[in-house]
Amino acid sequence: MDVGLNSGQLALRDSVRDVLRTECRPGVARQAMTDPEHWRTVWKTVVNLGWTELAAPANGADDSFGRIDLAVVLEECGAAIAPIPLLSSIGLAAGVLRVAGPAVADVLADVGGGVVAALAAHPPGCRLPGVPMTLQRGRLHGRAVAVTGLPRAELIVTLASSADGPVAAVVRVGDGVAVKAVECTDPAQPVADVEIDTEPVVTAPVDVESALATPLIAVAADLVGVADAALARSVEHAKSRHQFGKPIGAFQGIKHALADNYVALERARSLTYAAAARLDDPATPSSVGWTAAALAKAAASEAAVGCARTAVQVHGALAQTWEHDMHLYLRHAWQGASTLGDSRALYYAIGRRFAGGAG
Amino acid sequence: MMSSSVVGEFSAWLTDFLPDDYYDRYRDYRWDLGLRRGYQRAAFEAGWLQPTWPREHGGRSLGLRDAMEIRLEGAMRSAPKLPNIAGPNVAAPGIRQFGTAEQIDRLLVPLLRGDEWWALGMSEPEAGSDFAGLRTRAVRDGDLFRVKGRKIWTTQAHLSRWCTLYARTDPDAPKHRGISCLILDLESPGVTIEPIRMASISDETFCEVILDDVEVPVANLLGPCNGGWQVAMSSLNHERQMIWIMNWVEIQRGLDSVRGSETVHDDYASGEVFTELGSLLADAEALRATGYRALYNELADRPSPEADILKLLGSVTLQRVWELSAAASGPGSIDDADLLFERQDALAATIYGGTSEVQRNIIAERLLGLPKG
Repeated sequence: MDVGLNSGQLALRDSVRDVLRTECRPGVARQAMTDPEHWRTVWKTVVNLGWTELAAPANGADDSFGRIDLAVVLEECGAAIAPIPLLSSIGLAAGVLRVAGPAVADVLADVGGGVVAALAAHPPGCRLPGVPMTLQRGRLHGRAVAVTGLPRAELIVTLASSADGPVAAVVRVGDGVAVKAVECTDPAQPVADVEIDTEPVVTAPVDVESALATPLIAVAADLVGVADAALARSVEHAKSRHQFGKPIGAFQGIKHALADNYVALERARSLTYAAAARLDDPATPSSVGWTAAALAKAAASEAAVGCARTAVQVHGALAQTWEHDMHLYLRHAWQGASTLGDSRALYYAIGRRFAGGAG
Repeated sequence: MMSSSVVGEFSAWLTDFLPDDYYDRYRDYRWDLGLRRGYQRAAFEAGWLQPTWPREHGGRSLGLRDAMEIRLEGAMRSAPKLPNIAGPNVAAPGIRQFGTAEQIDRLLVPLLRGDEWWALGMSEPEAGSDFAGLRTRAVRDGDLFRVKGRKIWTTQAHLSRWCTLYARTDPDAPKHRGISCLILDLESPGVTIEPIRMASISDETFCEVILDDVEVPVANLLGPCNGGWQVAMSSLNHERQMIWIMNWVEIQRGLDSVRGSETVHDDYASGEVFTELGSLLADAEALRATGYRALYNELADRPSPEADILKLLGSVTLQRVWELSAAASGPGSIDDADLLFERQDALAATIYGGTSEVQRNIIAERLLGLPKG
């Protein structure tokens, strides 16, 4: 099994990067924190360029979008800290829908066309994602917290237990859906809690581990992007800032911290690409796919938070100010790190499975 | 698929070679020098020793991908360890790349068959990480070099016939450009070899090699005069590309030992073990995935900078995994001689082939472009 990007994927990465470099400077995230409608301009560009179509595998076998393509685009958006609901829509919500069969095809097509969706997968009081809702007599009921992108979403995808086993369920934001926006770590990526008591638009049976695997990879890719961008900013500063008569990057204290950041970044990137390749292989059992995705998410959280925190340290007092970009990266990293399972919780779950402990 | 059939062939060959009770008695067999020598000779003859090389040099002219899969298969099945790794994996690639026809003809086959062992004459008392700062002098005298100096931490020199000896041939040149590589016959007059007692059980004994006016023919120059730095870097690079596989497999063994320890499910402290275990599983998988990524880039003729994390990540992970193994077995670790060996052996991984500190400097300077200190 190959791990990494082929020439088509590298070209996709470069084109996405070029667009974001002009359309979405880091300052856009800062503006989005105070202006709740600011994201729409970038979103319009992104939808027009067709990036939301990565939500679902295309029909033509030759050019179908796999999870690696999805990861490539989300990684670049993470690197640009783009304040848009692309991760939430095509990574998280559509990530569940893509394993929910033909029943959800219409919803998936809507998301592919730019309808904003969010994934409610955090039961209150749990560190790991799971099944927050119940489906009884055709009615969906329950509460979920920390739903990324929900304040901007029209559709909610969630997981519910039912008499016939777990299902993916889709509801439209409106009657019977109480959205409670929260003051979140990264206001450029607003989050809300939700209480649902309504009839879903559609439901489809799913395997919970398969359903959560693609969302885990999607968050991982976003965080790999954040880690990469934060490290690049540190390197740039370490080369240009002089103290004691030389660039601070000439001191091993800085050098080794940034080398460790690089190791954490590439560790996470390798795990993300490897997990995406595993999930694109239909022969992969769901538990193996979940573990690969969870390893990637855990590693990417560590890389993003590590690189962003080091970047604050390298930039010194400058990074403590609103006008400097570094808090934007750190907020994004911290928020993503707590979404769909923090590193330690995921490592614990993976380690316990490996050791053969009770599920 | 082409590759799986060649790996399958290797795998079947390995099964045939290994004694029936190999896995039951692996604890003994891993020290069995006779078996390990036999393995090297058989692998050479069957073309599995260096799969990318031609038949006469112990290979089958296979591609990098097949060669990596064969190495992985051998490592995963705990194939016997080569008794003198420095020979086939460091000296041999250097001789193939830089050697004259006469040198290749005289030296390579006995080396690859394991009949003649090799030592690497690199470190000195005053030149460790700063290899280019070495002081051993080689002075031209007609068709000879006269060599004076001291080498240390020279693994298995007392059992070796040959040594790739790095010495200063131009004291006035900048330090990287005044070094040459000489092929030293360790039976030459003036060579004194003193083995050094190791802190742990080991068959990779360090030696001190004292060179007192040793004569080395100019014909024994490996590579260009004053081109020793390039010879050293290329020779080591071959091993560096593959070292992650050894680390990865040893890490898997460590992870299995954690899983198998009696106290791993001790309710009081198992949570902490599970969390560290998960983190190490990520390291192990990242090592494998990064090795594949680097190969994929290399085959596509693209740069593979990610390969530079393999040594650092692999060596640190190896140490952490055996520390966790000790923690997971509680006081059971105290009378576990195998575990003691694994912990001591893993300590070398962050030192040989470039210390972790040097690795971090390489990443920071060559990859990230930070200025030299």
